[in-house]
Order: sequence, then structure tokens, then C-alpha cells
Amino acid sequence: MRIGRLLLGLATLVLALGLFVGSPAAQAPGTLVVGLVAEPVNLDPAQVTDANSNRVGRRVVETLVAFPDESTQLIPGLAESWVISKDGLQYTFTLRKGISFHDGTPLNAEAVKFSIMRQIDPNHPANKLGNYPFANYFFGNVRTVEALSEDRVAFLLKEPRASFLAILTAPAASIVSPSAAMKLGKDYSSQPVGTGPFRFASWERGQRVVLERNPNYWRGPVKLDRVIFRPIVEDQARLTELLTGSLDLMVGVPADYVAQLEHNPKVSVLKQVGAHVWYLGINNQKKPFDDKRVRQALNYAVNKEAIVRDVLKDTGTPSAGPVLPKTWAADPALKPYPYDPARAKKLLAEAGFPNGFSTTMWVPESGSGMQSPVAMATVMQSNLKAVGVNVTLQTMEWGAFLAKLRSREQELFALSWMAGSEDPDMVMYPLLHSSQWTPNGPNRALYKNARFDALLEQGRQNTDQAKRAQLYREAQRILADDAPWVFTDHEIQTAALAKRVQGFKLHPSFDLRVETVSLK
Amino acid sequence: MGVSIVVFMVLHLSPGDPAEIMLGSAATKEDLARLRLEMGLTEPLHVQYVRWIGRVLHGDLGRSLWMKRPVLGEVLHRFKATLILAASALVLSTLGGMALGVLSATRPDSILDRTSMVASLFGASMPVFWLGIVLMVVFSLWLGWLPASGMWAPYGGGDLRDLVAHLVLPAVTLAAASMTIIARLTRSTMLEVLGQDYIRTARAKGLVEGRVVVRHGLKNALIPIVTVVGVQVGYLLGGAVLTETVFAWPGVGTLMVQGILARDFPLVQGCVLVVALGFVLVNLAVDLLYAYLDPRIRYD
Repeated sequence: MRIGRLLLGLATLVLALGLFVGSPAAQAPGTLVVGLVAEPVNLDPAQVTDANSNRVGRRVVETLVAFPDESTQLIPGLAESWVISKDGLQYTFTLRKGISFHDGTPLNAEAVKFSIMRQIDPNHPANKLGNYPFANYFFGNVRTVEALSEDRVAFLLKEPRASFLAILTAPAASIVSPSAAMKLGKDYSSQPVGTGPFRFASWERGQRVVLERNPNYWRGPVKLDRVIFRPIVEDQARLTELLTGSLDLMVGVPADYVAQLEHNPKVSVLKQVGAHVWYLGINNQKKPFDDKRVRQALNYAVNKEAIVRDVLKDTGTPSAGPVLPKTWAADPALKPYPYDPARAKKLLAEAGFPNGFSTTMWVPESGSGMQSPVAMATVMQSNLKAVGVNVTLQTMEWGAFLAKLRSREQELFALSWMAGSEDPDMVMYPLLHSSQWTPNGPNRALYKNARFDALLEQGRQNTDQAKRAQLYREAQRILADDAPWVFTDHEIQTAALAKRVQGFKLHPSFDLRVETVSLK
Repeated sequence: MGVSIVVFMVLHLSPGDPAEIMLGSAATKEDLARLRLEMGLTEPLHVQYVRWIGRVLHGDLGRSLWMKRPVLGEVLHRFKATLILAASALVLSTLGGMALGVLSATRPDSILDRTSMVASLFGASMPVFWLGIVLMVVFSLWLGWLPASGMWAPYGGGDLRDLVAHLVLPAVTLAAASMTIIARLTRSTMLEVLGQDYIRTARAKGLVEGRVVVRHGLKNALIPIVTVVGVQVGYLLGGAVLTETVFAWPGVGTLMVQGILARDFPLVQGCVLVVALGFVLVNLAVDLLYAYLDPRIRYD
């Protein structure tokens, strides 16, 4: 009996030991702790396709062209100025002088050439040191990069592309230290070296990535001493860590918690609409969706306001098209389709479906930028049922879903796009130009309109922004009328921060700019 | 070998490959083809398998497709965290379960017995992620006694106190189901053993009740308990996947989930191989323990 008690005693001792040794972490001055939704996989932005890796990796490296802290307009980054040739085929950049990488290597034209050519030239000595998934997507149009002098570098293009400066803000266009990349080889991706405000310090797998202030940063050192990024997958755990002071900042607050946090005196909540669009794709080539009236009917039938309000808890804003509202190319006159089931029914009747029809909707269970895909699709399903369209939902795992979309057998499908930039060429061309039909490109709605195609082509060749805005506005009006998708929403990103965090802003490109932060 | 073939096939035959997921919704046909070629995914499956297993036999598990780091080092590093968690949960569930079981068996139908059996039922039917979140909300958020996630404090810490504080919630969560199973088994086996003639003889000799229960009773009830504990090790290693995800515990489970979602074939294969090897070793240890507990069992 005594031993039985002993066993019980031991078990409780272990529990009690834990209970009394634990105390909430004391906050260190100068150290910001950020909670990420998942662990970064790779810190070389040229090799990266996930948001969490970029949120960390982009603190270490920089690009020639940059965004200011609050918008996606273009400003000089590592390049202080640039000249575009008349034919639009040569972009010549002058680099800022006196900048060095964290390992002491000087930033020069050769480093810029190295950073881009390693991705696009299969014979480049660094080409096999990593996979560069978006090399072709961003730089397929680059014929070559030439170092004209120590601080002048030219990009020679195969054809004019007005969005090329916007492309140079992409993570893949980051300038890396050539000496570090060659020395570290395949391991470079876990210990990056750039010119950014923070330098890489350590990475304990599964636990934290630590970045330290770059004391020689060319814009002047940042106020933080260090940033610690912690991967915490479970929403409740991330939230608890924030509320107990073990985290200072978390992004991607789950929609259901936003209201609760907004009323919590310990934290503040930030919101910012991002360069993102969520849409219900429609196969424009398949009957009955090849009839414009049917596609318009679907747009009238879906209650976007309700989805944004009830499912997304106001972490989205209804969209009228793919272009981010209030940016230079957006058409201010364009309004989202109103919720009007009666009109939807009328249009369906005109198209020859007075009693509706049956169809299937493919939905990924989750995925980059997908918000709450299944819940959103379920609301759409019931909205469509109300006008006689019987939808069977098929939910799939993200990888399987993407593979299936290339079959061209889709009818309706839920998808989203994060352009990372406000330039309409980076969202409309890939998603809607007829040269980009799946499986060749990302136009999975198989949309085609000759006038629309022509406008996009002119838009990418013309470097005059006012003229481009005109072209893209016309294109958006065509799109609204053709209704190749059910336009749904633009995501409003959310972040929750401890009260001691000052000066943080969410960026429309979904970048996580902790370099602006100071701690009280 | 069998495990490796099944894992390899299941992963490679499931729709969506690493190139697909890496490129996401921006994939073009050329980019997919180029990436697949670079990652060696274009060869026939059996060629890929033979190449992989050939390297594994030389101790090389390859590099992760996404992280670009050697898989072996990554998995072994994470496996340490999983072992700490699983071992703590095993100690908790075995000690706790046996103690509860013995107490219930010595006082059948008492309030203690009934309460512990209801608790067992509750423990066995609670999903790990639910229990984990409830414990987290109570002990971290409301009471502020324990850290909610991770293995170490984000800065400072790093000592045993820090580790134990972070370990308590995940270990209790992981141990709960096993503890109830062991408790119920101990109770029923003990009840049977305590009814045996030699127990009556021991009591008749005038031995102290505690000695009768533990020395004569528990030791003879241990064989089935050890068997179940051995099985529970496998469960704990597997169950660690969920617990680790809930508590951001940097073990092999979180790594495996990350690998599966990204279709990082070499990484997932490496994780499964190491966990399977661990399970086989534990089974071996259990078999050896039988012989120690019951001298009648001999392996020739």
C-alpha cells in the first residue's frame, strides 16, 4: 500500500514541480518576439514560395527597387536611380555607394548580376545550389544582366514590360552576397547574408530564428537589438503566448478572435487590406458557364457582404475585380456586384435555365491566401441553391487541388492570388490573359476576350503610368461585364501586438516590416 | 524495409507533388517541368525508390527538398525533443496509471475506485488537441502558471527548470489517454491476482498488506501491464504528432506534418524511418523485460 501511495505521490510531484517552476517570461528590452503561423523553411527569398519564410528572410536582404512603409508605390531601394531606354528594353540602375553586405563584401554591380543570373542561367556556378521556383515567372523576360561599372548595372529585356520595376521588388529579386552564397553553397539558404536592417544570428530548428540589428545599416540602424521569430502553428497557443507576454506580435489573427482581441486592454489589433484577391473561378469554356448571363447570375446570387461579415468577421473587403481598390490602376467607378437573387434568377431564365442546374465546386481545405475556403464556399453553395443552382462541394487538400485544376475539368473552384504589388500586370495578366490558360499558366478560368487581351498587352508595353491606368480601367470594366469569376474579396490582414510595441504598420504587400518597431 | 516501401509509395502516389506545392497557384507548365527535373521527380518510381534506399543503406537520407538541409541531422535533432516528450509522458502514464489501478483494485467499489474509473473513461475519450487546448487555457492563460508553447523560453531560460515548465502541459496531455488505459488494465489484473491462493497464503503468513499488494500482487500482474506499456510507447510516439503541433514542441511530429503538407518526400521518409526504428527498439526492450519479470520466459 505504501508503495502504491509512493507511486501516486511521485506522479503528483512531477506535476507540481512543473506548476511552481513556471513563470511567464520576463520581457527583454530591445528584443521583439514575433509569433509566426508556421516555421520558415528556407531563408533565401529567391528559393522561397511561402509567406513565413519571406517574413523572416526579407529582413536580411533587400531589393533594388522598394516599397515605402505604408504602400506598394515604388521608391528607390539599393538602387538610388534608374533610366529606362526608349524602347523599354534596357533598365540601367545606379547603385547607392558605400553599402556592404553583412559579411563585409561590397554591394556592387557584380553582386546584382550574380543574384539574378544564378536563377536564370543554367550554367551559372550558383545555379545548382538551390531551386529557384519563380526564376522564370519573374525573370523569364530578362535576356541578361550586365555590370557596366562598379555601381551601374543594366537589365536587358527580351520584350518591353512596364511592370519590370514592380517585379524588382519581389522577394526573388533580392540582392545576396555573392561571396557568402558561393562559400556556403546549399547551406546559404539557412544562413542568408544581405544588406538589410537585420543580420542573421541563429536558427534553432522548430523553435526560433534570431536576427540581430545590422549596426552599419545604410538607412541608419533600427531601434530593436534583435527579433526572435517563433513558429506556433496552433491559433490558441499563439494567442495565449501573446496575452501572457511571451510574444510581442502575431500576424494572421484568426478571424474568430479579432473582435475578442479588439476589446482586450493588453493588446492592440491592426488591420490593413492587402494586395490579394479571393475569387470563385468559373470555367468559361464549359457549358452552361460559357454564357455570360449565367456567370453574371452567379455574381448576383452570392452574398459577398454576408461572407465578409459573418465568415471572415470583417477580415476582408468585397471585391469588384482583381485590382486592389484605391491604387493607381483601380477604376473608382467600379462597384462590386450587389446581392440580388431575383436578378440572378431572371438572368438564369434568360440563359435558358429557369429551373437552374447542377454543378460542382472544388475547394481546397486550406492554402496560401485562401482565408476560410470551406466556410466561404459553403455560404456560396447555399446562396446558389437559393437561385436554383445545386452545387456539390468537393473539398481537397491544397496540393491535390492544384494538381486537379490543370485538368481543365473544373466547373467552379475557389482560389486566391497574392500579387505582392499593386501593378495590375502582376495579377490580371497571369490570371486572365488567354496566353496563360492552364496548364501553361495560372488562368484556370480559361477566360478569353480579344479586346481585354489587347489592353493587357498594351498595358505591359507602355511605361507611362497615366496611359496604363486608362488601359487597365477599360480592361476592368470589360472584366466586370464578362464576369469570368465570382469576384469575392480582398483580404484584410490582421496583426495583434503587445502595448509595448510602437511604430508597427502592416504592409499591403503582406511583408512584415518589424524594422519600423521600437519598444516602450 | 516494408515500412519504407509503403511510406514511399503512399507519398508519391498521393496527388500533388513538391513542385506543384512550391509553385502554388502561380505554376506554369514549364516551371513545373523544370522543377520536377531539378528535384529528380521525373524518373520512374521504382528507380527513385532504389536510388533512395541505396543512399539510406549508406547512412545518407538525402537533403530536404524545401529546406535544402541534410535530412538525417534534421530528424535526429528533432527526435531528441520527441523522445523527451514521449519518455516523460510514458513515465507519467505508467506511474500514474499503475498507482490509480492499484488503489482502485485494493478498494473495489469505493468512491476512489468509481471516481478513478469515470476519470479513466473521460481521459480515454478526450481528443489530444482538445485536452491540450483546455489545459493551455487554464494553466497558461487563466492561472499564468505555465508557458503555453515551445520547449524553451524565447530568451533567457535554457536550464532544467525552463524545460520542465515547458514540458508539463504537453506531457500531461500526451499521457492522459495512456494513463487511463494502464489504470484500467492494472485494476482488472490486480483484482484477478489478489483473488489468488498465494495472496491468501501471504496474508495468512501475517505480511503487511502493502507488501502483499506490491511484492506478491503487483509483480505478478506486471506482465500484461508491461505489454500494454510497450504498445503505448508506439502510441505516444505517434500521438506526439498532434501534441507537438498544439504546443509548438519542436519534435519530429511537427517536422513530419510540415513535410507531408509540402510533399517533402526525403524529409517525411526520414522521419518515418527514425520513428519506426525507435518503435522496433522499444518492442525489443519489452520482450527482454518479460524474461526479467517472469523467469519462466526464456529466449533461446
